[in-house]
Amino acid sequence: MSHLFEHNGANGKGYSQPDPIFPTDNLQIPSTLVRDELPKWPRLSEPEMVRHYTWLSNRNFGIDTGFYPLGSCTMKHNPRVNEVIAQLPGIADLHPLQPEHQIQGTLAIFHEMQEMLGICAGMDDVTLQPVAGAQGEFTAIRCFQEYFRSRGETNRTKVIVPDSAHGTNPASASMAGFEIIEIPSQENGRLDLDALRAVVGDDTAAMMITNPSTLGVFEPEIAEAAEIVHAAGGQMYYDGANFNAILGRTSPGIMGFDAVHYNLHKTFSQPHGGGGPGSGPIGVKAHLAEYLPGPIVKRRPILSGDRLTSVNQEWWYHWQEPEKSIGKVQQWHGNSGAVIRSWAFYRRYGKDLKTMSEHAVLNANYLRHRILKEAEEKGVSHLFCDGAPVDVVKHEFTLSLAPMKEQLGVSAMDVAKGLLDKGYMSPTVYFPLIVPECMMVEPTETESKEVLDEFATNFVEVLQEDAEVLHAAPITTDVRRVDEVYAARNLVLSYPFDEDNS
Amino acid sequence: MVDQLPNLGRESEMLAAMGFSSMDDLFADIPEAVRMNGELPLRGPQSEEEIIADARHILGANVALGDRVSFLGAGLNRNYIPASVFQLITRGEFLTSYTPYQPEVSQGMLQAMWEFQTLISELVGLEVANLSVYDGSTSAAEAITCAVRVHNRKATQKDTVYISELIPPARVSVIQNYTQGGGITIKTLRHNSDGTLNLESLSEASGSCGIYVEQPNPLGILDGGLTRVKEIIGEQTAFIVGVAPVSLGLVEAPGNYGADIVVGEGQALGSPITYGGPLYGIFACTKAYLRQMPGRIVGRSIDVDGKEAFCLTLSTREQHIRRHRATSNICTNETLIALMGAMHMALLGPEGLAKLSRRNMAACQLAKQKLSEITTISLPHAMNCHYNEFVIELPGSAADCIEYLDTQGLIGGYDLSNWYNQRTNWLLVSFSDQTQAAEIELLTAHLAVWSTNMIQGVNA
Repeated sequence: MSHLFEHNGANGKGYSQPDPIFPTDNLQIPSTLVRDELPKWPRLSEPEMVRHYTWLSNRNFGIDTGFYPLGSCTMKHNPRVNEVIAQLPGIADLHPLQPEHQIQGTLAIFHEMQEMLGICAGMDDVTLQPVAGAQGEFTAIRCFQEYFRSRGETNRTKVIVPDSAHGTNPASASMAGFEIIEIPSQENGRLDLDALRAVVGDDTAAMMITNPSTLGVFEPEIAEAAEIVHAAGGQMYYDGANFNAILGRTSPGIMGFDAVHYNLHKTFSQPHGGGGPGSGPIGVKAHLAEYLPGPIVKRRPILSGDRLTSVNQEWWYHWQEPEKSIGKVQQWHGNSGAVIRSWAFYRRYGKDLKTMSEHAVLNANYLRHRILKEAEEKGVSHLFCDGAPVDVVKHEFTLSLAPMKEQLGVSAMDVAKGLLDKGYMSPTVYFPLIVPECMMVEPTETESKEVLDEFATNFVEVLQEDAEVLHAAPITTDVRRVDEVYAARNLVLSYPFDEDNS
Repeated sequence: MVDQLPNLGRESEMLAAMGFSSMDDLFADIPEAVRMNGELPLRGPQSEEEIIADARHILGANVALGDRVSFLGAGLNRNYIPASVFQLITRGEFLTSYTPYQPEVSQGMLQAMWEFQTLISELVGLEVANLSVYDGSTSAAEAITCAVRVHNRKATQKDTVYISELIPPARVSVIQNYTQGGGITIKTLRHNSDGTLNLESLSEASGSCGIYVEQPNPLGILDGGLTRVKEIIGEQTAFIVGVAPVSLGLVEAPGNYGADIVVGEGQALGSPITYGGPLYGIFACTKAYLRQMPGRIVGRSIDVDGKEAFCLTLSTREQHIRRHRATSNICTNETLIALMGAMHMALLGPEGLAKLSRRNMAACQLAKQKLSEITTISLPHAMNCHYNEFVIELPGSAADCIEYLDTQGLIGGYDLSNWYNQRTNWLLVSFSDQTQAAEIELLTAHLAVWSTNMIQGVNA
């Protein structure tokens, strides 16, 4: 165990800086504001710093390390060409308040992304401003809210979410001031239209739903659901977390949705970075376009007098503020670094994004099939069941380990830890909440058949392990099972300098 | 291109194993009425080298700050990130991981974020910090809703928070979007003509849930009066301060003059400006606000062998557990950028921070001295101490002046009429550790010419 704060070398300058360009003996800082005591930061030389973070990186599992079947998170490979492009001059060293004639390149890429995202989702207008999926949800719900306010429909105070929804859906709607109505799913995990009919009314603002659902199952009655909500005067919101399943095969627009968010860090390979940054643009149908956070990139043919910086420029790109914009959800223009990387990913596939989605679905179905078959052959299929009994899934599938818990006292978490010992990242566990002892598996188009075959074999081997072995797992990792209750009861949220001194 | 898909050409084999005959079988569950048929109406795929060539061509139309002499800041200032930060951040174990739901294989990022929390906590002088929110504007907004959750019960001005009248409109807009749903009323605190906070106006905020001010303020002023704020507003009103983090190498940590919550744009530590995103928002507070904080927090724990280990903690505040009663909807945050911040802080060390802070102040002071020598312009807040930026009052419109400077190859600053309607003659100029003395000379010379011409033109 190495601690950053144990480095305190006397000569520990990590890098040397030039001297100030003006004498600083009289800076005229108000006396009450002079800092007497510097922060207790460590003192590291550059090699010490490099080793510390290299050591930490060795204790972290990424997609680059191995298979990362974390359901609902779409952990696909992050092509390195995207990183190379993001480091080009004219990306990192750009200020969001520079005038239009200095940022035509960025605006051109933004425009291309707006268009592409609109086409893929069947939406009329797109803003790239939201910086994460949850912020995209919040932004769209705010657009709905202002749309209703402008129509005098202030009675619409309720947002409907199925009980299988991502937690961000109710959290985002609640932040915007809506009351949440959660509707139960059917026994088979599907949307219950009767339950929906029972709650819609003139107080309905919107329904938020992801399709395919968090069970990885396409909701066949989605168009009917949209009709029910629209008939009641509400809006339909598409949570794009599972968008990787359907590109080119269907779209939220066709299904009847009014707004959608995209997770560029899921579908379009912006690296997840240990928790972020992401990017969560939203697309909307025309009736909501004037409420989008602004400004949005538009283009027009070149006119004489335009200050072109590029010789072959065909269009003049410019900002436009939507007329009744809800304003800003991030101070600038969103996570443009993520947009540029995702642009590179889009260019890699173009119209073949459809093939990409097909392969994501192929891999999910194949892995599901292989696990079921392998379990049957090894005589352990009684230990789990399908989260949703369907012929085909989309980009992910769920398994319930409730039978195993009941028969052997082994939980989904135990199995997850057993998988860590096999060298895998665990699938998502205990989500969606409606499947007991749930494991949610999403392989993405990244993985080869061999990886999937091997995972199926290893998964079943874990199921065959003795209960005691799984209770004790993992044993091969940097630390063994971490006591999360201890962490919450004995809060140590920063380095305890005092403890160290004693 | 699709030939990079590992299972291309093996579809039939995999489908056959499942008893299917075509890819369409896998999509048979999508009802006919909602199917998209045919190809996506998009361009064709490209190879890696074609993508790079296009990117170079398209992005070649951008003018980078480094291509010009720039004085544009307005909260995001030019900075230098040490080379090792960029090198280390590309390590795939960091770059391609996600939220550490399985702590046993995520100790690296968990420890790095726990260390980040410590670095921020030490920097701002408060006990607790989270591992980042989106940016400076959303951290301010989240701080305001947090303050209301903590103080509303005892507040005499219920659901009310006061913010400085100088806060730029885009930041105010974010704050309004985040707070309107909770029925929170945002009122403003006045400033004096010298740019400092009007402490009499502050007394109106007593009994409200919180006040939000910035240090330095949006005009670049370091306001000594802020050290008296907490005694004026009292214990039951949250004192929220937005900071420029590098300034804290010289300027007192707000936690040491009574701040309850400190927020800010982290960019100057570890992140390029990147056209305004991704950046990272700092969020730190006293223990009293801990259970109402937004975002993820790492705690130290032990594993079953009693060995030190780290994990996410206090998750019951968060959306994946608490759903619509969560303290915030934030899930994906800015971890990787915060990690860059941690690396930069680790390299700087305390003395390195103080030096970086001095370099920023020195550039600002030299500019103030040089520009105050031009008789045809004035510095309305010159009597104050500034960090990174200050206002120049021009004899003509700031928009025209920026136009002129642009033709001379300078990005001249920011036209403050975009923030404050009536201030058409106010130019906000920014100076940082990257500003060279010769650049200040250049700006001084051009401003002298332009302002003299303006006055002569007006008089003629």
